[in-house]
This record gives sequence, C-alpha cells and structure tokens, in this order.
Amino acid sequence: MIEFKNVSKVYDSNGVHALDHVSLKINKGEFVFIVGASGAGKSTFLKLIMHEETPTSGVIVVNDMHLEKMKRRKVPYLRRTMGIVFQDFRLISKMTVYENVAFAMRCVGRKNDSIKKRVPYILELVGLADKADDHPSELSGGEQQRVSLARALVNNPELIIADEPTGNIDPEMSYEIIELLSEINKRGTTVLVVTHEHELVKSFGKRVITIDDGRVVSDSDDDQFVAI
Amino acid sequence: MSSFGYLVKEGFKNLFHNRLMSLASIGVLISCLVLTGSAVMLTINVSNIVDSVGDTNVTKVFLDDDLTKLEAVYKGKELKDVDNVVDVQFIDKDESIEAYREQLGEEVFANMTGDDNPLPYSYSVVMEDLSKYDDTVAKIKEVEGVASVSSHREVAAKLTSLSSFITTMSLWIILALAVISLFIISNTIRMTMFSHRFEISIMKSVGATNAFVRVPFIIEGIIIGLVSAAVSIGLLFVLSDAIINSVQKILDFPYTRFTDPTVMWPVIGAFAAAGVLVGAFGSMVSIRRYLTHEGSEILGW
Ligand SMILES: Nc1ncnc2c1ncn2[C@@H]1O[C@H](COP(=O)(O)OP(=O)(O)OP(=O)(O)O)[C@@H](O)[C@H]1O
Ligand SMILES: [Mg+2]
Repeated sequence: MIEFKNVSKVYDSNGVHALDHVSLKINKGEFVFIVGASGAGKSTFLKLIMHEETPTSGVIVVNDMHLEKMKRRKVPYLRRTMGIVFQDFRLISKMTVYENVAFAMRCVGRKNDSIKKRVPYILELVGLADKADDHPSELSGGEQQRVSLARALVNNPELIIADEPTGNIDPEMSYEIIELLSEINKRGTTVLVVTHEHELVKSFGKRVITIDDGRVVSDSDDDQFVAI
Repeated sequence: MSSFGYLVKEGFKNLFHNRLMSLASIGVLISCLVLTGSAVMLTINVSNIVDSVGDTNVTKVFLDDDLTKLEAVYKGKELKDVDNVVDVQFIDKDESIEAYREQLGEEVFANMTGDDNPLPYSYSVVMEDLSKYDDTVAKIKEVEGVASVSSHREVAAKLTSLSSFITTMSLWIILALAVISLFIISNTIRMTMFSHRFEISIMKSVGATNAFVRVPFIIEGIIIGLVSAAVSIGLLFVLSDAIINSVQKILDFPYTRFTDPTVMWPVIGAFAAAGVLVGAFGSMVSIRRYLTHEGSEILGW
C-alpha cells in the first residue's frame, strides 16, 4: 500500500536533507503513528506520499502507483485514493459544514444524487449530523476537525493521512479524534497520523514509526523495520 | 446543483467579487472591438463608393472661368482631337449646379443659375485606353482654356488610400488594445485566483483535475469577453448609424449600414468568437502558475 525504498529528500531552496535514505512499508488496513522531534521530516514524509513534494532519490509506491516518476496530470487520481487532514482544518469559512464536505465530492465530479446521499451519511458517522447547516466559525476545534475528517472520508479513500490532526484542539477532543480515526481504520481504511502527543500514542497501542533527523530510527513493528 | 452548474455560478461570483477590474477589462475590450467594427464598416463603405464611381470610366475637364459659352462649346472639337479620347460631352454650368443640388439636396444652390453660377463650363471625356490615362490627361491639360482635369479615378484613388491609411492605423491601435485587454483580463483573473487560493489548494488536495480547477476562471474570462462583445455590438450599431446619417447629408450614397445582414451577422459572430478567445486565453495565462504549484506553495504558508 505504501512503500518507500531508499528515499531521500533534499529541498532545493535551502539544501536541507529532510529525509535520508528512508525505507519502509505500510500495509493495507494498518494504523500507524509517525512521531519525532520538530524538523525531523515527518511532514516531508507525508508530502511525499501525497505528491506535494517529489523525492530527490529513491522509489515511492502508494496504492500501486509509482510516485517518483508520476506525470502531473495523474496526480489528481492519486489524491482521490487518499483523504488528507490538516492540523489547521482548512475548512472554507463561507461554506456550511454540509457544503464543505459536499465540495470534495463536487471537485471529483460526483453527481448531485450521490452527494445528497453520501454527505449526510458521513456527517452522521463523525457525529455532526445536527451541525450540517452551521458554518465552521460556529464550531469548536474538535468539531471543525471532524468536519475536515468527514471531507477526507467522503470520497471513500483507501488511505487517510493526518498531519498533527490534534495539534490545534484540546486533549479530550484529541482523544475523540484519534478514536474516530481508529473506528474508520476498523472499517478497512489505512490511517497514517503524525503527532507530538506521546500519551495519546501510548494509549492506543498502534504501530509507531519514529523519525529523527530524516531517518527512521525505530519502528514498533519489528518485522517491517529495516534499520539503516 | 451539478458540479458544472456550480462552476458557472462560481465564475459569475468571481466576476462580481472583482467588479472594478472586471469593468476595466470589459471597457478596454469594448474599445478594441468597437474600433475594429468601425474600421470594418469604413472599409466596406469606402470600397462600395470606390466601386460605384471608379468603374465609370469618365474624366471631367473644367474650362477656364472667363470662357463664354460659345468658346466653351468650340473647345469640344479640340478635346476630341486629343489622342486616346473617343468621346466628349459638353456640360452646361446650369447642369453642373443641378447635379450638385440633386446630390447634396441643398437649397443653397437654388439661385445660383444664369450669371450667378460660380461653376465653369466643363466636359466629360471618355478615353479609349485607360492605361494611357496619365499621358492623355497631360495632353488635355495642354489644350488652351482647360483649367483642370479631375476624374473619379483620382477621387477613388484618394478615398482608397485614405481608407487604407485609417485601416492601418486602426489595425495598430486594435492590436495594442487587444494586448492591453489580454493583460488586464489575465490580471483580473490572477486577482480572483489569488483571492481563491485557499479553495484552489483544497480542490487540488482532494483530487480535482487541473481542468476542473480551471473552469470557473475560464468561465469568468469568457463572461468578460461575451459581455464586452454584446455591449460593443450595441455601441457599433448606434455609433455607425449616427455617423452614416450625418455623412449622408454631405454625400448621399446607399451606405451599407450595420443592420445589413451581410455585415451584422459576421460581425456578431466574430465579436462573440473574439470575446470568448480573448477571455479564455487571458485567463489561461494566469491559471498556469496555480496549476504548477502545490498545497502550501499556493497558500504561501
Ligand atoms: N518547503 C520547504 N523548503 C525548504 N525546507 C523545508 C521545506 N519544508 C520543510 N523543510 C525543512 O525540512 C526539514 C524537515 O521539515 P518537516 O516539515 O518535514 O519537519 P516536521 O517533522 O514535520 O516538523 P514539525 O514537527 O515541526 O512539523 C526541516 O529542517 C525544514 O526546515
Ligand atoms: Mg510537520
């Protein structure tokens, strides 16, 4: 599902080696936490998976697609296989909760009929059915992140990527968000979460990959870990 | 709402959101189109006039003012003897004044008959071989008592060169205006895209194709183009009618008007096409940048 072989990333603008010969494999249906200090390269790792950045060297395979040589016009179809959740929610403030979620379906050309069926179902799933007509500014941080999660889920992706999804919300809400992600994972979606909150990571007992200074320094799933 | 309906609506919203820039784009594009239309109308009418007068192979010879009618009539023989002249026809002063009155319909000429007639006696001369035109005119001018020679050919040539001068000038101005309107439209769209960069980054992150991201902005450009085309057509109609009406008072001629279907439909078609092209092209130029950039680069975070 996700495979990195000897992947390095050097940012051209400043020559920073954000990732250094990273090799790892994440299988379909796994739930993985990515942890590490600030500047370790966690976000870079996720950006490579969503083809927001391209690797300087190495091979990346995501959902059976080779990313290192992917044509620009293929990228949208890669993105459709994944749902992305950001720390800052990135909801459109002029749109209601419902419209924000429906927007993701419109963007991939889904018909009105299926939007009308699918969006209420997803909002129900994240527990926001009664907030459908509210605007993001009327919601708490936890609720906004659930809208963002609903948007990531609505096109039925194989993979959810979340970069510090709990970074802007209070601890109890954080727990709820991860629990929701874990619920989604149980239905078969692969989940990748970058976080700083070690307590949270411990309490869920999932696979944990630690990145330090651009290298994978530990992986709780020993079979998969390839030390460099 | 279908996703396409949604995009069209977004295009309109963008247009309104940026109304000052939109108006500037529309204004420049209108001046460009109206000028183009005017140049076309001018060319058509001048070439009509040239065609109708140019092929009457007649040269007018004006005699000296102080010639009596008898002397004038005798000049006919001399003129006919000039090489290449096949026929001459005497034109009385009163006939000339009458011709003016008919053409111009002015009552001013009414009491300029008899001794008060300011026009000289004249002849219309028909030549056999028009390729010897200049030679023949020179010889006619040598005849004593001939004041001047004028031909429709000269008038036609002057009109044609004037109109081609005006057309060339307009072509340059039109070209400059077209470049300016492309520039303004692409900047208008760039501004809209900038104010929508957040939505664009989300669209790309959920897997919208570049074609899809483009659509509202191209529609915005096309709306600018079509609105400009529509206003230009209206303006051209009003403007050309007013100009033709006032020119008609000086020179009566069956002018081709904008409402002539052989003019109106091609012009409407061309304007609509030009509007769509300029609008679409103008927006395409500015969209590129956003489509080659990703997520946080678009947002500038
Ligand atoms: N677009 C960029 N251009 C240049 N350098 C970058 C860019 N993005 C990240 N970097 C650098 O690459 C390194 C890794 O950054 P990255 O954002 O992946 O870290 P991170 O682990 O996500 O950190 P944090 O926990 O603070 O979010 C850092 O040194 C950072 O300065
Ligand atoms: Mg980060």
